[in-house]
Amino acid sequence: MLDEYLKANLASWDEAVGLHVGAQMYDVEGFKKGRCSLSDIELRELGPSVHEGTMLLHLQCHFGLDSLSWARRGAVVTGVDFSGAGIATARALADEVGLSARATFVQSDVLALTDVLQGLFDVVFTSWGALIWIGDLERWAEVIAHFLKPGGTFYVAEFHPYAYLLADDATPDSLRIGYPYFQYGRPQRFDEPGDYADPGARTQHNVTFEWNHGFAEILDPLLRSGLRLEFLHEFPHTIIGLPFSFLEVGVDGLQRVKGHHEDFPLSFSLKMTKEG
Amino acid sequence: MSDPIPAAARAANLRLWNAWTRVHEKSAFYDVEGFKAGATSLWALQLEELGPLVHEGTTLFHLQCHCGMDTLSWARLGADVVGLDLSDEAIGLARRLADEVGLSRRAEFVCADLYDADVHLDGRLFDIVLVGWGNIEWLPDLERWAGIVARHLAPGGTFYTDGIHPFAHGLDEVPGEHDVRVKYRLLPAPEQPDVEPVEGSSADSGADTTGPGSYGWVHSFSEILGALTGAGLRVEHLHEFPASPAPFWDWMIRDEARLWWLPDGAGGLRRDLPLSYSIRATGPAA
Repeated sequence: MLDEYLKANLASWDEAVGLHVGAQMYDVEGFKKGRCSLSDIELRELGPSVHEGTMLLHLQCHFGLDSLSWARRGAVVTGVDFSGAGIATARALADEVGLSARATFVQSDVLALTDVLQGLFDVVFTSWGALIWIGDLERWAEVIAHFLKPGGTFYVAEFHPYAYLLADDATPDSLRIGYPYFQYGRPQRFDEPGDYADPGARTQHNVTFEWNHGFAEILDPLLRSGLRLEFLHEFPHTIIGLPFSFLEVGVDGLQRVKGHHEDFPLSFSLKMTKEG
Repeated sequence: MSDPIPAAARAANLRLWNAWTRVHEKSAFYDVEGFKAGATSLWALQLEELGPLVHEGTTLFHLQCHCGMDTLSWARLGADVVGLDLSDEAIGLARRLADEVGLSRRAEFVCADLYDADVHLDGRLFDIVLVGWGNIEWLPDLERWAGIVARHLAPGGTFYTDGIHPFAHGLDEVPGEHDVRVKYRLLPAPEQPDVEPVEGSSADSGADTTGPGSYGWVHSFSEILGALTGAGLRVEHLHEFPASPAPFWDWMIRDEARLWWLPDGAGGLRRDLPLSYSIRATGPAA
């Protein structure tokens, strides 16, 4: 059963697919010509675990650009997203770039995935703005552990929980806090028109429910599900996607805090291995 | 290997901790008299998370043990303990306390720089290695720290630490308000210690500790967890809490369990920000 939060978020994401396919941020035309949509962070850290034939499960794959980028590097990928529009677009893209033989797309809420998907994977991957849509990380961790082969790798690259705390009106001189680190399961309700990839878009479905998750909230369920911590990394840079006016984009395409290129964390990555 | 703590930092921090020891011995916060009368100095979280692993005869190595009250509180619960601290006055007080409460047969105290622990412990292994509240901020190099932890853990032994949350370290008072905002420095910079004048102590903000400043280092979870996993430990848990066993500012609020909270601005306790954490990890099996 879709609950209220899921319904609202799904309506927002179904609408976002149409906007994102044409958005410069996603550069679908470039992707079709061969551009890799993955950032240097996940390429450097997860790339060495992805070989010809690696079975990779991509949770919250949106319309499949990253899933297909891993497929181009040899992986046999399964992309999962709760948005039917996202999955339909992903399948069409896979056809168009000739990867449908090594890319399967499944429409499902991540937390219900064990009901609809069979099989085990070498790698479970999720990234960039995915975790805030998951209200129950206990179940999420169980799903990840369920689909990993013994010895398999879970990897996530994400926006940093500290960055999610900053107030909308935070300034470089006063980084005020506007959002909670601990939410005790209760989501933040947002009702804002526009889209992160197209801020001026006249969107219809503007109510969303989001959860910021602290490190313990992310890490502990995974540990309890039988995964072993390989590393947690924190970076003073991120892919483009955070809304603060005091960020700047470097020649490497990553955002950093102006005047503080080394000391304020904007993203993190986590790699874990299933015991086996 | 050379000591990663610069000489000036070591000297300043030693002076400070000796001065703090004199303050703490008489402070209500440390309540030495209460301890002598039998009260535990451990906070409820430590007893809850580590207590079940401490039995009669459990061997426990307490790094940066200050004046030994926590070390001796574990000894009272049955552990055979070794405490190590930089401050000669703190170790002197720890030994006096051990004598006074009749625990000197199961408590040994070593006065040494943390990074020299190997020299003084001579390969001894412990069931538990404990790093208590607020300690790693005095250390520039966590890889070597984690190496010391790993080398003194018995096979399958337990490492436990609790501390000030890295995010809380990066909080500042908003001037004129009982509110906080984020400072920029939240990621480690081993070559750039925070050098600060010290006024008073967390246990007694009016205490006269003028003179010695402190040298501290910023640490992040990636660095702490990376050091532990790099030394071969397996992380069992990371927990985060919205309260702290010691106050950061005098306008924080103490609850009945002796925990300190930020005010929420409406007469209540602010529960949305992480102020402390604990980590438990296990050493490699034999």
